[in-house]
Amino acid sequence: MNNEYLLQIKNLSKSFSGVKVLNGVEISVKPGTIHALMGENGAGKSTLMKCLFGIYKQDEGEFYLNGEKFNFTDPKHALEHGVSMVHQELNQVLQRTVVDNVWLGRYPTNGLFVDEKKMLEDTIELFKKIEVDIDPTKNLADLSVSQRQMVEIVKAVSYDAKVIVLDEPTSSLTQNEVDKLFEIMRTLKKQGIGLIYISHKMEEIFEISDYVTVLRDGNYIGTKVTKEIDIDTIIKMMVGRDLKHRFPSKSHTIGEIVLEVKNLSTTYKPRVKNVSFKLKKGEILGLSGLVGSRRTELVEAIFGARKRETGELILNGKLIKNDTTVQAISNGFALITEERRETGIYPVSNITFNSTIANVHNYKGITGLLNGKQMEKDTSKLVRQMKIKTPSNYELIRALSGGNQQKVIIGRWLLLNPDILLMDEPTRGIDVGAKFEIYQLMLDLVSQGKSIIMVSSEMPELLGITDRIGVMSNGRLAGIVDTKSTNQEELFKMTMKYL
Amino acid sequence: MRNIIDSLKSKFKLGNGEQKKISEILLNNAIYFIIGGIVLFIIISEPTFLSLSVAKNILTQSSVRLILALGVGGIIILQGTDLSLGKNVGFSAIITASFLQSFSYGARFYSTLPDWVWNVNSLGEVIGFQWFFYILVLLVAMIVSAFFSAINGLVVAHFKVHPFLATLGGSVALYGILLLYFNTSDAGPQPIGSLDSTYSSFVGIWHVFGMEIPLLVVYSVIITGVMWVVWNKTTFGKNMFAVGGNPEAAKISGVNVIRTTVMVYILAGLLYGIGGYLEAARVGSANSAFGLNYELDAIAACVVGGISFSGGIGKISGAVAGVLMFTVITYGMVYLGIDAYYQYIIKGTIIVAAVALDTRKYIKKT
Amino acid sequence: MKKVLTFVTVLLFVFALAGCTSDDGVVTIGANIYTFNDNFMNGVVRPELESYAQELGVEIDIVDSEGSQATLNNQVDTFISKGVDVLVINLVDPAAAGTIIDKAKDADIPLILFNKEATVSGVMDTYDKVWYVGTDSAEAGIIQGEMMVADWQANADWDLNGDGKVQYVLLKGEPGHPDAEARTVEAVKAFTDAGIEVEELAIQPSTTWSTTEAGDTMAAWLTTAYADEIELVISNNDGMAFGAIQAMTNASYDIPIYGVDALEEALAKIGTGDLNGTVLNDGVNQARATLDLAVNAANGVDVLDGTDWVLDSETETKAVRVSYVAVTADNYEDFQ
Repeated sequence: MNNEYLLQIKNLSKSFSGVKVLNGVEISVKPGTIHALMGENGAGKSTLMKCLFGIYKQDEGEFYLNGEKFNFTDPKHALEHGVSMVHQELNQVLQRTVVDNVWLGRYPTNGLFVDEKKMLEDTIELFKKIEVDIDPTKNLADLSVSQRQMVEIVKAVSYDAKVIVLDEPTSSLTQNEVDKLFEIMRTLKKQGIGLIYISHKMEEIFEISDYVTVLRDGNYIGTKVTKEIDIDTIIKMMVGRDLKHRFPSKSHTIGEIVLEVKNLSTTYKPRVKNVSFKLKKGEILGLSGLVGSRRTELVEAIFGARKRETGELILNGKLIKNDTTVQAISNGFALITEERRETGIYPVSNITFNSTIANVHNYKGITGLLNGKQMEKDTSKLVRQMKIKTPSNYELIRALSGGNQQKVIIGRWLLLNPDILLMDEPTRGIDVGAKFEIYQLMLDLVSQGKSIIMVSSEMPELLGITDRIGVMSNGRLAGIVDTKSTNQEELFKMTMKYL
Repeated sequence: MRNIIDSLKSKFKLGNGEQKKISEILLNNAIYFIIGGIVLFIIISEPTFLSLSVAKNILTQSSVRLILALGVGGIIILQGTDLSLGKNVGFSAIITASFLQSFSYGARFYSTLPDWVWNVNSLGEVIGFQWFFYILVLLVAMIVSAFFSAINGLVVAHFKVHPFLATLGGSVALYGILLLYFNTSDAGPQPIGSLDSTYSSFVGIWHVFGMEIPLLVVYSVIITGVMWVVWNKTTFGKNMFAVGGNPEAAKISGVNVIRTTVMVYILAGLLYGIGGYLEAARVGSANSAFGLNYELDAIAACVVGGISFSGGIGKISGAVAGVLMFTVITYGMVYLGIDAYYQYIIKGTIIVAAVALDTRKYIKKT
Repeated sequence: MKKVLTFVTVLLFVFALAGCTSDDGVVTIGANIYTFNDNFMNGVVRPELESYAQELGVEIDIVDSEGSQATLNNQVDTFISKGVDVLVINLVDPAAAGTIIDKAKDADIPLILFNKEATVSGVMDTYDKVWYVGTDSAEAGIIQGEMMVADWQANADWDLNGDGKVQYVLLKGEPGHPDAEARTVEAVKAFTDAGIEVEELAIQPSTTWSTTEAGDTMAAWLTTAYADEIELVISNNDGMAFGAIQAMTNASYDIPIYGVDALEEALAKIGTGDLNGTVLNDGVNQARATLDLAVNAANGVDVLDGTDWVLDSETETKAVRVSYVAVTADNYEDFQ
């Protein structure tokens, strides 16, 4: 028996109705290492994990746990054998406490009743072990996403996990929180735990991982030692072509000031305080900052989705109101929200519905009824223009990949022909190829004379695509810098300005 | 005044040293302040309201409602609802009353019952039922109610039918079964009254330490205590909250969601059974309309008490407060002699206002 | 579009089938009860309709209108499409008689309305084959009132405060229900007509005539400041009276109380002295009169042919009225 590896996946294949979605995949996780798993969306990462956790049954291939052949029947079974997964969409009971969530499904009892004291003590013990500082009696709803993630990791550790799979854990974390997460990952690593780390973020892969395995279209492309390769190699492996630049080249020209925001403050918590800036025609203005620095709140306040206490909005020299989103839309604003699934898409409706819902009143005929044909026509145009990959307009939007969903939502607003687009984390959770297309689209839009305010937590992205970057710090604007003459260090310092 | 505020502030101090504002305290305990306000208003309008007999009546009238609310409360925590509650209680009441009619009454539901059920004195006269028969009938009522509730639970959990529809359909079907049973009466489909005196005395007064305590209140206090333990101190209770809060998370953590759901419905059914058994004795008769609209009162009381329709949230104390509020409003308005038409308007308005106020603590302001 | 067509075809086919009832000479009756929740209608009238139909050798189909006039309208449509020979209808909403009469008229099917009388004047004259069997809503109240007046005058000690006035509370039942409204007025009028002053301490409606609600209401009244002044409880039906009696027992009160309907349970309570009187709503004879008229109408002969019933000549010529009977401790055994 070869016990060099904690977990080995060998020659794994899986087909759905004749289509091979996984083909000869191999991964071997050594104790005390971090193994990155990469691939574009649809490359088969999640199918692979579902096979591992027994949700799907593989057609071919084996799993070995400590050298022994194994097949898990369900996630619970895997948990009990020390293999656990921290999902991207955290599956937790928000209404209950940290303690209740950690021990859910296996509450310790003394006779008839749950032993609350033991539960609490054990939780505190675990928190100490991996150096997490969270009040275990708090409800999960009162914690931040990163704290909730840590609870999930603690839960995995509480099962005496040998292997922990982290599915895009940093997608909604700020730099600080990512650093904290990495600390914990290193602590876990020292304790001999093997981690599988799924992520799209190149910088992080190089910072934290020891090995990288790349999948493409279900095929196993290879495993490399991280230290021995560079970003371009990985991108090449992932997309199968040379994606020379992660960002399209810029050629747009910037014009006059279109929008001026003066002394904007919001009424309710979390508050935006006294923000002023100017936006030019044909410009992409980035908004950087930590999570909780109220970038989202700022764009919501501009869009009329959040009540303003003070502040003026001057559009093309004229004072406008934007007290409601309806006013904002008629003033030529559009907001593409951050939480695509929660506030952006109508998952069980089709593409036509999703793309036309924001300006459905424009399709009213003389009868007052909607002109379905025109809606179809516009949607088809959109699908063509934006290269949305879908079998037809009748496809439910939830069946599309994240990148394509995002394109539909952007398209929805483009049908309104807005002048100023507020985009909140437009590339979150979508893969490299789709990101490139979104960037291209944004550049096309500014070339047509539209202006964009883009909120992003990814500094490389801001540096790559924007013209200027504004940095929010604790509800205030810490400053605006020219993208060409700044760097990550400067931006990072600015985020701390008002903390 | 300042001192009071300060002491209140320190009382509600949080772990991290942050202090809640007075307005938040008011908001978080809205329901209690509303009840307090209503009681205060009634007392000011009619000072005699502040009496032992009124308090006793309100507690008595709340008792059965509370038992039912505790049953449906668990279902609401599961993001569900139970529209069959009323019919279920009605059926339990009819079953109970049909067996426990006084021997001397001529037009009994069952004109003949086997000899072993009767308690006969030395002269050969029937003086009531054997003691175990009272318990047997209670068990039958509970089992029947639990059975029908379990079917609802299975339909919801296994076939994934929305609880509103599952229990609506269940309610209609159950009504048919109830009418069928009601029509089998030897006396024809008549209201079932003239109940056995011992049975009626189960909901009478308990004389202890020179006090007169309504037995119904005693039962409901015991049941409330048991339910508090079940909700808060048992694995089943915690699983119920987890399934209600996020069924997917519960499932991944190894909680048997279907079994938990069905068990919550069964528990509710058992409580409906007890409720029907006691309510028939309290009212003194049962007919096919028994339990009409009880579900609405019970569900509304739970929601008013902060048991959220969105699932996973709720406290026993909330259900108690909700039920008490309902009874206080209803009782108080009859007591004040408010025109019945206004009663409806006032009651409806207070319910919506209470829920709106209560919900504010969960809403993030934008 | 294809789906819709298929659906319509299937629907037409089903209706065609439903319409093809064989006519074997047996009279078929389409009947309803406005709600099976009504103790009197479901417990007294419906069983008699069924057993008397068997006796007459006719087929009767009785449906539950669940307290909804809309449901009843649909049921009547179904009956008509099934091709019943006569409709026997217990209106949910007395004001909606016109709709039902029009439906019967269009289908040329005779119609007997029973127990709930059309309230729109002249509506009975719009169709020659419609009749009404029932009672006079006001009569029950009058009889209940006369009974109470007699007992009041016979028992001087009932006037607790000795002011010569009757201090009463009243359990009304469903607001807008013709019986509830008429009884409320007539029961009290009997006292004033007899020269006795009355004082209403409280009145409470219950949309469902609920025993439980009546009990809870009575319990509340018995804790008010005027609890000891209540000299009389008037209940517009027996069911609510039962609840009130239970509440009085619990609070150790014994106030004279009167109901309406003469249910079995009420007779037993008169026997034990809990209930002072009730009024027999003669459901058995209402049911019999209804069926007698229905069968005659279906056979196309004069509706009174071979029966003892008489048309009420006083108001109009198309109603048969069955009388109410006062039931007290003196005569309750006759009805058991």
